[in-house]
Amino acid sequence: MMTHTIRAGLAALNVLAMAGTAYANVTVYTAGPASLIEQLAAGFTEETGIKVDFFQATTGQVMARIEAEAANPAVDVLISASWDTATDFAERGWLLPYTSPNAATVPDFLKSDTAVAQGISALAIAWNPTSGTPKPAEWADLAKPEYEDLVNLPDPAQSGATFELVAALEAQSGWSLFEDLAANGAIVAGANAEALNPVLQGAKAAVFGAVDYISFNGQQKGESIEVVFPASGTVIAPRPAMILNWSKNQDEAKQFIDYMLSDAGQAIVAATNLMPARTDISANRPLISDLSILAIDAEAVYAGRENTLAAFGGIFGQ
Amino acid sequence: MSARSIQAVNPAVAFAALGLLVVVAVPFAFILLQAIFPELGRGSLAAPFSRLADTLGDVRLIRMTGNTILLGLGVVALSALIGVPLAVARALFRVPGAMLWDLLMLVPFMIPPYIATLGWIMTLQPRGYVHQLFGFNLAPFLLSVWGIIFVMTLNTFPVIYFAVSRTVEAIGSRYADVGRVFGASAWRAFWRITLPLATPGLAASLLLVFAMAIEEYGTPAALGRRAGFDVLVTGIDLRVSDWPIDLPGAAILSLVLVGLSFGAFLIQRWILTRRSYQTTTGKPQTIDKRPLGRWTLPVVLGFALVAMLATAVPLLAILATALSRTISGGLAVSNLGLDNFLAIFTDGVGALRALGNSLSLGVAAALFTGLLGALSAYAVVKSTFRGRNLLDVLTILPNALPGIVVAVGLILAWNQPWLPVTPYNTALILLLAYCCILLPQPVRYATAAFHQVGDNLEAAARVFGATPMTAFRRILLPLILPTLLASMLLVFAVATRELVASIIVAPVGMQTISTYIWRQFEQGSVGLGMAMAFVTILITTIFPLIVLSLLGKRGGLL
Repeated sequence: MMTHTIRAGLAALNVLAMAGTAYANVTVYTAGPASLIEQLAAGFTEETGIKVDFFQATTGQVMARIEAEAANPAVDVLISASWDTATDFAERGWLLPYTSPNAATVPDFLKSDTAVAQGISALAIAWNPTSGTPKPAEWADLAKPEYEDLVNLPDPAQSGATFELVAALEAQSGWSLFEDLAANGAIVAGANAEALNPVLQGAKAAVFGAVDYISFNGQQKGESIEVVFPASGTVIAPRPAMILNWSKNQDEAKQFIDYMLSDAGQAIVAATNLMPARTDISANRPLISDLSILAIDAEAVYAGRENTLAAFGGIFGQ
Repeated sequence: MSARSIQAVNPAVAFAALGLLVVVAVPFAFILLQAIFPELGRGSLAAPFSRLADTLGDVRLIRMTGNTILLGLGVVALSALIGVPLAVARALFRVPGAMLWDLLMLVPFMIPPYIATLGWIMTLQPRGYVHQLFGFNLAPFLLSVWGIIFVMTLNTFPVIYFAVSRTVEAIGSRYADVGRVFGASAWRAFWRITLPLATPGLAASLLLVFAMAIEEYGTPAALGRRAGFDVLVTGIDLRVSDWPIDLPGAAILSLVLVGLSFGAFLIQRWILTRRSYQTTTGKPQTIDKRPLGRWTLPVVLGFALVAMLATAVPLLAILATALSRTISGGLAVSNLGLDNFLAIFTDGVGALRALGNSLSLGVAAALFTGLLGALSAYAVVKSTFRGRNLLDVLTILPNALPGIVVAVGLILAWNQPWLPVTPYNTALILLLAYCCILLPQPVRYATAAFHQVGDNLEAAARVFGATPMTAFRRILLPLILPTLLASMLLVFAVATRELVASIIVAPVGMQTISTYIWRQFEQGSVGLGMAMAFVTILITTIFPLIVLSLLGKRGGLL
């Protein structure tokens, strides 16, 4: 009986193993959203016949996997949600220089020798109009008494874009805004989606620094949510795509980058409510040129990351 | 001489040792090596021990460790407070609707903790479901240490309920009746005889609950950060997911967690080996349950209250969210619809394939851990094999390893370039992860069961010429099978919904139920995620019931 069980178990394992075996030509590790990489992979395979195997998780989880795999890496193309990854990987000498012919209309600040943006998200105030609060226009509005106990902030330790927003606003006007927010009962509530959820149900009125495309997607589904870009400025989070220099499929990887930046690829990016990286692609949402962007000295900001997070944590009692 | 050579080739022990080596020792060894050699991931052994001092010297470590112990003890205490009285009532008395209560106590197992937590948040937060229906909210309670302990207890107390009710049922009233004959009161007989005899089941389940509580990630991550309550698991997760990734730091913190769990394990072992708990002697035993009399109503009310909190509220919250077209629309008739459920079946093949993947992995993990668990427990309790204490330690190690660390250990171990074949990047790596994480469950249950089986039964079989393997298969295995089967169903339920390790080690392009749900949440499609969760809970509840009825056992087995 036991040998029979073992045999049946092994047979089941074989079936499972077959189901998971990769026959792919190009392996892409990407930070969310899942629907974006699914569509890009399908479109790319249709156009080139090259199969895409992708692994999608948060930026942190993707990095953990790359770090653990370092002895025998599998990833060909990496798409992160934080430009900092591209800078850091370039410094470590892990990236293959490549400039796609399709990147001509990508603005210079969204590309380097070794990385190019796939799309861009921006941070905004996500506000629930049925919350019974006045519509906020500025970051500072959320520290007003009308929003007492009604504001969520994503955790800058878990969201790279939120960290840049905190650093940029702090560089501009010090910690007073965040001290006012904390005194007004604003709380730090996990990663981006976790911070938005209570606002949808109405437990909170607004997210300070919500990722815009998730809120736009909710709006399309009929959720009661509005996206406000403060006139004083916000930060953007370009999503760098890069080819790892250990890739054994460099030609296919380059073709994938080309497809991602093609008209068809950028249209898929725009359809997920991200801003396309190419300026000549239209989208049904405000674009970079419509937004006021806060200046940020990435090098200095990331050098002081630990201190910034510690000061932020101190203000919000973490 | 001849006795020795028979023991040396006892195939049960050999198989247990080999299985534990592959499933537990290999990934654990790599975690240990990672803690010692920070550059291990790159295949270098440079700068050994260089990360120990700063990681262990971190001032936050003491607070996180303290919080972890507080959380573990709190959940154990509250789980015992709820689980033990219900279990004793269920085991010794005729409780009206006993089968129904068993089923309702089984469901909390099937609700993934991160889903249950989200359900509670959406129920108790301002303008949550309770607020919409009854006009009040309990957010301050939920977002506190007590809220975390409360939510986690509702998920873990069934471990104690099922283990203790089964153990007490097996002991029956016979021993207590002897005490009564000699003049003890009913209470005294229970406290001095029945409860002490139930120690193996109770101690094993308390240990499991403690380990589950200190290892659980979803609930402390969702509620703890808002309550300013950091535990070791959230600290480990931050080190693994925050660039630059700190694998050595995470490995070192995991070893602290393993140390805590190991301490609890030593206490449990000390309790179990102090004396004999053998009550299964081969003598016939009548199972006669007594009527509850005037206690009927309070007991039934107690069962109803617990079932409502642990099963009804989370299930209703999940269903309400899954049936809502939009979250902001709230509980209005116009906002209700089956859109999310339809989306599961029309969403290409993604959702259905995720279901298929997780269910097959769950079945495979249950079969494998059940077999390995029974053999390991046998090797530890019944054999005289000299390395059995080492095997026992191996079975407890994964108990406290957070899923994310097991995942990293597996990648480090199985992604070595010199390996000719590797399970990495196939579904087998997920199976290895689930087996490693969940092996302690069958082992602990089977160990407790073996402690209650008299040695004379196996000895009798051997006297009549049975080989060790035959005695194991024909005598011991059938005696512990009910217990083992229950733990295998638990493995099935937990493996089909495991999230943290699945995200990291899932082969490229492969989705499981939990990664599918998680992706929906990440994209803000909470309703679709909840619909998938509801379907999963239905399947993982009904499937074991079908298995049990096919095997001709009744639900009371659990």
